[in-house]
Amino acid sequence: MKVQLVTKLGGITLELDAKRAPRTVENFVSYVRSGHYNGTIFHRVVEDFVIQGGGLDRNMKEKPTKPPIRNEANNGLSNLWGTVAMARTSDPHSASAQFFINTTDNAFLDFSAETDDRWGYCVFGKVVDGMDVVEKIEDVKTTTRSGYQDVPEEIVLIEKAEVIEE
Amino acid sequence: MPALFVSDLHLCSGRPGKLALFIKLLQEAAGRQDALYILGDLFEAWAGDDDDTPPHPEIISALADFTRAGSSLFIMRGNRDFLLGRNFAAKTGGKLIDDPTVVELGGKKLLLMHGDTLCTGDIKYQIYRRIVNNRFTINLFLTVPFVLRRRIWHGIRGMTRGTAPGKPPSIVDVHQATVEKTMRKYRVHDLIHGHTHRQGVQEFLLDDQKARRYVLGDWYEGDSVLVASENGLRLMGVQEYLKL
Repeated sequence: MKVQLVTKLGGITLELDAKRAPRTVENFVSYVRSGHYNGTIFHRVVEDFVIQGGGLDRNMKEKPTKPPIRNEANNGLSNLWGTVAMARTSDPHSASAQFFINTTDNAFLDFSAETDDRWGYCVFGKVVDGMDVVEKIEDVKTTTRSGYQDVPEEIVLIEKAEVIEE
Repeated sequence: MPALFVSDLHLCSGRPGKLALFIKLLQEAAGRQDALYILGDLFEAWAGDDDDTPPHPEIISALADFTRAGSSLFIMRGNRDFLLGRNFAAKTGGKLIDDPTVVELGGKKLLLMHGDTLCTGDIKYQIYRRIVNNRFTINLFLTVPFVLRRRIWHGIRGMTRGTAPGKPPSIVDVHQATVEKTMRKYRVHDLIHGHTHRQGVQEFLLDDQKARRYVLGDWYEGDSVLVASENGLRLMGVQEYLKL
């Protein structure tokens, strides 16, 4: 299954791994289909780490989400360059809509044990087209805004997210 | 930004190859690198600033040449050479720095430590350190005549003059919670230390940000140097650095 994110800097195509992360993919796709991601931003961009988005609108307000889902990080997939994973709080099972794309190998984010501090972040797909767009986003200048650090100075809007291949 | 970081060389006359390698590193880096940071245990044993046991005079001379060429030298005391003092600094043209110390290189804050205070799981060592590594004990020890001090300190380290190379002991590793607490205290996401002899780079999440712990390798069998440049920090063997 493929999902495309459309931004002013270009399109990013994600290939989702429903076999290894069934609940996570189902959850992500439901947000795509409901239009949740349309008008959200990449609000956190950290060079040599991740670009993260899908949760805040252009005014830095959190969009409402559905209940969180159970972490599927113990699926054997690693947080390597170009993979997409669910963001969450320190509660391992708190992922809802926000996701991030790894812009380098971040194996230290992987699952290693079912303890709060070692559950890791669930990888559920990878970028198959548009990694150059990801890198352009990674390079933008950032600032602190509304209490968030590493926010792009110029808004990076996800204009539209849609399923392009079932 | 160019700077080099080394630690745990444990230089002594029993390992002449490593001594020669260090001198070669100093000669190559002199004038080319802005600074060299030595994060503890430069010497296998240092019984006080009057410790002229070979090869100490040779090392001091090589360090003095390095600073005379215009490069800066910063030395942190380790657990073997915590008796390094002002005279040593003056003779080498270097500056003694505290453990820990924060430096800013290329816009990034780096926390520099020897590393022994991070091994809080090793209770015996931490008690020993509190007794031995305080101003009162040090000053008391320094009143003892040098010949006796050398016999005590070098003897404790299993060394006699000009002979035994000193076996690398097994050292308890750092305690991750202590690492994180310390990095939070100094508001850094990059830590450089030695002491554990477990060379490598560990990445982890610290308050949602990627943090890196660079561990400098010892020079007992291998050797390592951390090179700081515009491209970031890179751990490598000394031979690799010499080829750059």
